[in-house]
Amino acid sequence: MTLGRALRMALRTLGRDRLRAVFMMLGVTVGVASLTALASVGESTRQETMRRFKRMVGTFDTVIVRPGAGRTRGMPSLTTVEPTLKFEDARAIASEVANVRRVAEVQNAFDIDVKYREKTASPAVFGVSSNWTELRDDEVADGRGISDEDVRSLARVAVVGADVKAALFPDENPVGRTLRIADVPFQVVGVLAPRGAAPSGGSLDNLLLIPVSTASKRLFNRDFLTLLIAQLRDPERGDQAVTAIAALLRERHRLAPSAQDDFTITNPRAAMARVTEVGSTLSKVLKGVGLLATAVGGVVIMSLMLVAVSERRKEIGVRRSVGATKRDVLVQFLIEAATVSALGGVIGIVIGVGSSTIAAIAQQLPTGLVWTAIGGAAAVSVTVGVVFGLHPAWRASNVDPIAALRS
Amino acid sequence: MIELRDVSKVYRRGDGTPVAAVQAVSLTIRGGEFVTIRGASGSGKSTVLNILGCLDTPTSGTYLLGGEDVSQYSDRQRSAIRNRRIGFVFQSFNLLPRTTAAENVEIPMVYGGGRVDRRKASAALERVGLGARADHFATELSGGEQQRVAIARALINDPALLLADEPTGNLDTTAGDSIMRLLTDLHREGRTIVLVTHDERVASFADRELLLRDGALASDRQLTGVTR
Repeated sequence: MTLGRALRMALRTLGRDRLRAVFMMLGVTVGVASLTALASVGESTRQETMRRFKRMVGTFDTVIVRPGAGRTRGMPSLTTVEPTLKFEDARAIASEVANVRRVAEVQNAFDIDVKYREKTASPAVFGVSSNWTELRDDEVADGRGISDEDVRSLARVAVVGADVKAALFPDENPVGRTLRIADVPFQVVGVLAPRGAAPSGGSLDNLLLIPVSTASKRLFNRDFLTLLIAQLRDPERGDQAVTAIAALLRERHRLAPSAQDDFTITNPRAAMARVTEVGSTLSKVLKGVGLLATAVGGVVIMSLMLVAVSERRKEIGVRRSVGATKRDVLVQFLIEAATVSALGGVIGIVIGVGSSTIAAIAQQLPTGLVWTAIGGAAAVSVTVGVVFGLHPAWRASNVDPIAALRS
Repeated sequence: MIELRDVSKVYRRGDGTPVAAVQAVSLTIRGGEFVTIRGASGSGKSTVLNILGCLDTPTSGTYLLGGEDVSQYSDRQRSAIRNRRIGFVFQSFNLLPRTTAAENVEIPMVYGGGRVDRRKASAALERVGLGARADHFATELSGGEQQRVAIARALINDPALLLADEPTGNLDTTAGDSIMRLLTDLHREGRTIVLVTHDERVASFADRELLLRDGALASDRQLTGVTR
């Protein structure tokens, strides 16, 4: 008996009792639907997390150093950090740690009054070195960014974020205008392109950039940094760079071996890896749940097939009497189980992918079509049919035709 | 065509005690004969038929079919013989439910290795006088018609040997007689027919009658010309 003929026969048999076929498919359909839906939702969440994370930190080839032992959470600012991280530390890291290409210096404060004519806004003010824009992967939409010359000359120039532009210059181009930061006049030289929301939900555009030297000496009168970002030559060896920077800072800060670090170094790449790892652990658990549901579907198939075998003893006897071998009967029932399971799987994939796509669109997430999950679900559903069909098929092939025909 | 030599079949009861259903039966049936096997229930007549039909294997002894010793054949070999060389007709018709007459007749072709030929099935139904009922379900047919479908199914691969186990047992006299006339016609066409029955009237259609008693051959007599 050829496979194609067996398949047609299975479909015809299943078609004769559609209600039973539906019940047999149900478990596998539910299992496979949840399996593919969970995988797709997991994938789109992962993609979205990565996208937001990248939007926050800019590039991944950096390590971030903050003052203090990491007790403060969120974005540091002049009012919250310890004054331990100096400008000289930044220069030392740039010149002494081999894996560091360059260092961006940051001195920032939140809720600074910024005025333009009668309008007032309270953005975060970031004193930054000229390489900040590039390290953050910021785009200057209009005008220019902070330059080396600005930093050298303590220029009173500012680059405004999209929210600041919207608040202070709703109807005009800010470039060339003069605004007042804590009553000190600054000329706007550029506008940043919008970045959107942070993973926490806050805006990444309510800020204003000025040269870090101007911030330190003309605005805030502080000689320490709130943040420094070191870009690495070899991001793969980020952990070693973290160790080297830590050793250098401990030496420069003259910390006793028993003392805690007075700074915190984070490696976005490692943090990202942790985030996605948490994601994949969760998706593993969800996958397990889906597999379990599919297995339950398999058990349903097995029990209904066993019922079918005892109901169809006469058919088995007839088939054996006209020339079916035991193997023919085994294959027939096995293919029936695999077919019903595969059909259930296909319906499940359609439901799973469909529902997760709708959910993703509704939540404005990227739609995560995971082909490996779809292929895997299809393979799993056929396998479930074969595995759980094996026992009923074996029973069918061992029905005694003589007894079956006599009844 | 058929030769049984000292064929015995021993079953084991649930408690393990052996029961001999057939004891040292030896017989020869030539090609083209119409033979009935008669006997009381439990006489072993169905077991002999099942052995002849390669559905059952003898515990001891030899079964030669067309000169070939088939008594130790594998499941696959016996299945091939059942498919090509033997047609079965049963007391309870054994048509598949929710399946049309034509589909029932086609089943042996599924296991024959060749194509499933619709026209062949139609021709077989035509031969038993049911050409118009090809698309009817078994449940829509009378008992006599169902048995005709079963005979068409048995004939589809053109076997030389037709085995019938009480083919009229579930039919009234009229339907039973018409089935017997059909079998007689098939016999006239040259087919070998072995028919198991406990009904003397049915047995009278045959040329030869074998009588089994307690699993052993009790008598073997020619009937030719007696009733026909």
